[in-house]
Amino acid sequence: MKIQYLAVIFIIIILPISLILDSYVKSQIETLDLQILYDSKLNDATYDAIKAFQLNTVNSSTSDLVNSKMRDIEASVNTFFTTIASNFNMAGYNSDVLKNYVPALVYTLYDGYYIYSPYTNILNDTEVSSGSEYQDGEKRYGLKPYIYYSCRYKNANLDVVINYSLDNYISIQGTRNGIGISKAGYLIDNVEVSDNGNTVKYRGINIEEESPLEEYVGQTKYPYIKINGVKYYQDTDGSWFSLLNGEKSKQDTLQGGSNDAAKRYYKEAYEFRQWLTNNGILELKESDAVDENGNKLNNLVDENGDAIYQFSNQNIFTYQENNVTSIEEPTSRFNQHRLAIIRRSIERNLSIAIANYNRYTNITTNFQMPRLKEEEWDSILNNVCMISFLQGLSIGGKVYNGYAIIPNNVNEEVVTEDSIYIAERNDALGNPGSYYKVGDKTLNTQDLNNYIGVFNVDFQRKSIPNVNQDAGTTQWMYYYPKPQLGSYTSIVNETNKDERLGDNIYQYLEQPGLEQLAKLYYTALGRERYGMYKLERNADELKQTYM
Amino acid sequence: MGDTLVTIVAIVLAAILMFVFPVMTMSDRTDEMSQLSVETATTEFVDTVRTTGKLTADNYDRFVQVINSTGNTYDIEMEAKILDENPGKKTTQVQADKIGENVYYSKYTSQLLDELYTEDGDKKSISFKEGDYFSASVKNTNTTLSQQFKNFFYTVTGNDTYTVSAQHGGLITANGAK
Repeated sequence: MKIQYLAVIFIIIILPISLILDSYVKSQIETLDLQILYDSKLNDATYDAIKAFQLNTVNSSTSDLVNSKMRDIEASVNTFFTTIASNFNMAGYNSDVLKNYVPALVYTLYDGYYIYSPYTNILNDTEVSSGSEYQDGEKRYGLKPYIYYSCRYKNANLDVVINYSLDNYISIQGTRNGIGISKAGYLIDNVEVSDNGNTVKYRGINIEEESPLEEYVGQTKYPYIKINGVKYYQDTDGSWFSLLNGEKSKQDTLQGGSNDAAKRYYKEAYEFRQWLTNNGILELKESDAVDENGNKLNNLVDENGDAIYQFSNQNIFTYQENNVTSIEEPTSRFNQHRLAIIRRSIERNLSIAIANYNRYTNITTNFQMPRLKEEEWDSILNNVCMISFLQGLSIGGKVYNGYAIIPNNVNEEVVTEDSIYIAERNDALGNPGSYYKVGDKTLNTQDLNNYIGVFNVDFQRKSIPNVNQDAGTTQWMYYYPKPQLGSYTSIVNETNKDERLGDNIYQYLEQPGLEQLAKLYYTALGRERYGMYKLERNADELKQTYM
Repeated sequence: MGDTLVTIVAIVLAAILMFVFPVMTMSDRTDEMSQLSVETATTEFVDTVRTTGKLTADNYDRFVQVINSTGNTYDIEMEAKILDENPGKKTTQVQADKIGENVYYSKYTSQLLDELYTEDGDKKSISFKEGDYFSASVKNTNTTLSQQFKNFFYTVTGNDTYTVSAQHGGLITANGAK
């Protein structure tokens, strides 16, 4: 055969192969492009939603209460669907269609989480009225009941349920030798209380009553204290008020504003420790953890099936005075256990919710919970977070199966170790000074007498309605409660960070020369954590104890 | 005489068709595969920064390693737009925003790398805050095999020709912790 023929035959064989390969690879790239595009749309929608939640909680004085919080979350869900619909509109999907592809939205909050997914409404004949909007057995979208980060423990004497939270606060309910017990509090090591409870020391640092805090409401500056999630301002005539929907609401039960919340925080943690010891809670072992049926828990595994947490025979709550890992530090045994319990709870309930979604949808995809990466779990377990899932959209060669995890670390829900900033009360000219993160070098070289620790949410812009009586109109006014400006080397752009600051802020503050900073920080951390809303407290009784 | 000429031409043609053509198509595929992996890596890298608020030397190293494993050399450009919140800070105001607020200033690749790797070889991380922007773009700097072939047959050579490129960017959604 002539060599030309050979070449022609060769081309006849190679050309189609090459053409098919070419179009295959191109379609793969298109699929990938589309996937990236969808990922970023989902990310944007999730961010919008959590931002809406943040704005609502910061601006609402009642956002701690359950029904108000649910309202905020439902508003955030609406934001999610609005954004995702306007982002996807180009692709011809609208909000109602897209709803079919969202098996679940998850909001992880301070002591538990909400799952937004469809459910079957149950309405008994006795409860139904004529003209009722709801019907028995209909499919509805909504928030499922709040699920606490909780776990049941059982040993020879105890049968208790412990609720965990994003920080070191726990609450315990159950029975000890058949007698009911119930208590909540913070787990803190290294607290010394002496002199009939008048002297409180934490890590050797004397925690004292602070001078009154001040912040702006609109254009006026008031002294204030925060009790159980609500800020009470002292008016010029000495009476106290709180803000309700932006208007002053008189508070007669409050008598005084002693600013000793930090002291109370450490003192109550000290008493809580004694209670834990007396009731045998400290003897609980990790292996005592059982599920709702009383069976031992299995070890947790990561996406490759390797064990990442084992329920061993060690004690969960180990106070170690003057030891490197105090119970409140991130690396302590308690914290590892806490994270494992939270993760187990979210993983189980979420995969059930997503798997159940198959019964509610006419989309032919098999909805499944994707395996999240370790670093993603890390941000879920340490922050208020929103997780969204979008599955079943066709993107060329395959079916889209995406999720987005957006943490939020500026909100009223939780006071983390990172959310305390150090602010200058005012500078040499009497103008508002700057505020810094704890690790900034500016703070270790000078006298910090004129400084104060502040919760970072207080630097967020707020709004109040300004009613014009004559015109009968209401205009929203925006203001900043704290007038300090963000430091350019620390807040705007972090360039002046102390090298000694690692992952553990407690160890950093143990360094010599940082005693003043440590005092400011521990006082503010205690004050803000104590001022948070707690379900277990009676706010009215608490208010009476302020002198 | 004529036959010999035809044979020579045929051999040359056959050589081109049987050797150069397959190599060319395969090198095209290689570039497309590189494109696929570079695009994935860039998106993943940028999205990690966006959702954690933190650019770490480890993440950057991993990113560089992944894209270099395609066998090309790349020029990586990063830009961080830092939001200056202070100009917006007034005691009270009626409008939510005013002209002149939302001032951004940018930091580019070399500045960011200077912060990531200190002179004594330590690896650091850079924290951003919610509201900043981060973007990265990647282009290949070497001439890939498929580019060489193309240049050989039809010259498209120039300084700015690249075949593998990816860019991604967006708003940072959380304050970087510590």
